[in-house]
Amino acid sequence: MDYAAIDALRERHPAWRMLRATHAPLLLSFLGRFFVDEGHGASPEGEIIDALDDELYMRNGEDPENPRFKRAAADYLTEWASTDSGFLRRFYPLGTDEIHYDATPALEKAYSWVQSLHARPFVGTESRLQTAIELLRQIAQGTEVDPEIRLAELQRRKQEIEREIEQIEADPEAGLLDITAVRDRYQQFSSTARELLADFREVEENFRALDRSARERIATWKGSKGDLLEELVSGRSRIDSSDQGRSFQAFYDMLLSSSGQEELSALLERLTTIDELKADRSIRTVHHGWAEAAERTQLTVRQISEQLRRFTDDQIWLENRRVLDLVREIEGTALELRTGAPPECGLELEQAGVDVSLPTERPLHSVRPASEVDSLLPPAEQEDVDTSVLADQVIVDPARLAARLRNLVPERGTALLEDVVTMYPVEHGAAELVGYLALDTDDIEVTTDEQEETVIEYDEAGRSMRARMPRVVVRRR
Amino acid sequence: MNPDERAVATSAIRLMQGVVYQESDAWEDLLRHRGAVRDHFAVIGLDVVIDDDEGYAYLRTTEPEDGDEPLPRVIRRRALTYADSLLLVLLRKRMVEFESAGDQGQLVLTQDEILEMIRLFLAHSTDEARVLKQVDTSVNRLVSMGFLRQLRGRRDTWEVRRILKAFVDGQTLSDFSAKLAEYANGGADDE
Repeated sequence: MDYAAIDALRERHPAWRMLRATHAPLLLSFLGRFFVDEGHGASPEGEIIDALDDELYMRNGEDPENPRFKRAAADYLTEWASTDSGFLRRFYPLGTDEIHYDATPALEKAYSWVQSLHARPFVGTESRLQTAIELLRQIAQGTEVDPEIRLAELQRRKQEIEREIEQIEADPEAGLLDITAVRDRYQQFSSTARELLADFREVEENFRALDRSARERIATWKGSKGDLLEELVSGRSRIDSSDQGRSFQAFYDMLLSSSGQEELSALLERLTTIDELKADRSIRTVHHGWAEAAERTQLTVRQISEQLRRFTDDQIWLENRRVLDLVREIEGTALELRTGAPPECGLELEQAGVDVSLPTERPLHSVRPASEVDSLLPPAEQEDVDTSVLADQVIVDPARLAARLRNLVPERGTALLEDVVTMYPVEHGAAELVGYLALDTDDIEVTTDEQEETVIEYDEAGRSMRARMPRVVVRRR
Repeated sequence: MNPDERAVATSAIRLMQGVVYQESDAWEDLLRHRGAVRDHFAVIGLDVVIDDDEGYAYLRTTEPEDGDEPLPRVIRRRALTYADSLLLVLLRKRMVEFESAGDQGQLVLTQDEILEMIRLFLAHSTDEARVLKQVDTSVNRLVSMGFLRQLRGRRDTWEVRRILKAFVDGQTLSDFSAKLAEYANGGADDE
């Protein structure tokens, strides 16, 4: 790379700009943890702000006298997603009113570069050489058109495998890897696993770039109708048939095939049983991480292809062109007219939906009571109020009254209420008399004789009272 | 009323209330019973337009066949003011640009962006507040017509709804353009 290219990257590439940012440590540690380590996909603004708030609180807590990050979490996010920064992708998904943010491939790059600066105590090289040779073999074998040669290669490998079998039969220890060789391979595996995860974002970004360039070509197409159709057809299949699309699809198919899944699970499980390796716990479930990230990418690709298909639908395409031409015309006229009084013409549209208003749903007239405000109240005179009556409410217990009658009147006998009251003087006044009248039990019948009158004298609250009432007869059944 | 009849009735009512979007809970029912719902509205001279790709459905007055006397109008036509029309046209353009750029999700504009977009076409005024109010009025009218939707919990931020494409189509724009051109020429003749 020449000087100018590197200079341009330093100025323009978001990953480099990220490293140069004043808040680079905050930016990289927070976004790296949230999107890369914890593997979040596109997330709603609120969720990220909460997490960033916690982070800022913690950072500022280290030196409460001089807090280093004085701005609000939302401010930082907006800045990081601005066009000038380009560290985050910001968009409104369909069907939600909350802004969503997702990491850009640049963030992945910057974060992984910073991580790679950590000196590794041991760098395995053997496994990488092995992998490289294996790849070479695959290329050679996969491009050989002569079946004889391909067969010969397979034969050679068969013999090799047979020799290995013999060796193990002769010596059970043969072919075992020593711990260094295992560690070497593990290191390569874990770094590849992580790189793979990081690559998905770039894959997605590439798909979006493909989509954009396809739309651009279609939108600016100036050729004939026949050429246009050809372009539309190739545009329709461009994403799926690109190198990117095919490689991703093959990866996705392999990962999601059930045999692939099972084998991966079993192999990863085996990894954690090797104690000397001290395998990272998260590595055991790394294939779930791949599947999730791949699923997200797959979803994006589906959406993009679907939208592109719609966009390239020639009817919509022609309509869009017509609309743009007409809008340009209108804009031109509007500019001419802007100095004068606004024209009195406008669009005429049908309304969406039908206005239904039910006359009976609407009250015709409702009388509101006139409210009067009287703020001049005459002062109240002081008065002694006996509040004890509130507390001294008496409740006449009908069960007690019935019990008295049972004591007094023999079975099938009768008695007059005035006689009962002589035996059991009235304690609760008129209420008690009414209580007798209202008695309602199976064995006692209270009847009144309207023809005869009786007078009952009793005391109520210290005052002597007299009740004039029809004669009351009590009868036991 | 059995569940199917209920679904047909609900779909019909929701269409009468306005545009039914894919995101709405009535969408599935409407798709399943589109035949019955169509029959229902055909009687009173309304078409049910369902756009599967764009994900919206609405009612439209059926064009009377040649020689047929048109039915009384069920759906009201509305004449927009020049300012409202201009905003709608500019939003329609934004929609095409948004789609051409391959952006995903919904087109969301802030008040500043809307103002920026329309300012060029307004008579230069030193009264900033008046301009702002005028644009505000237009925005509110488009909200009431269902072309803009204020985002929940966000003041001064609107979603431009996809239905705009169905209502502000080539034909409508071409009529408007012609009328406007006529007005511009007429005005020149008077001077």
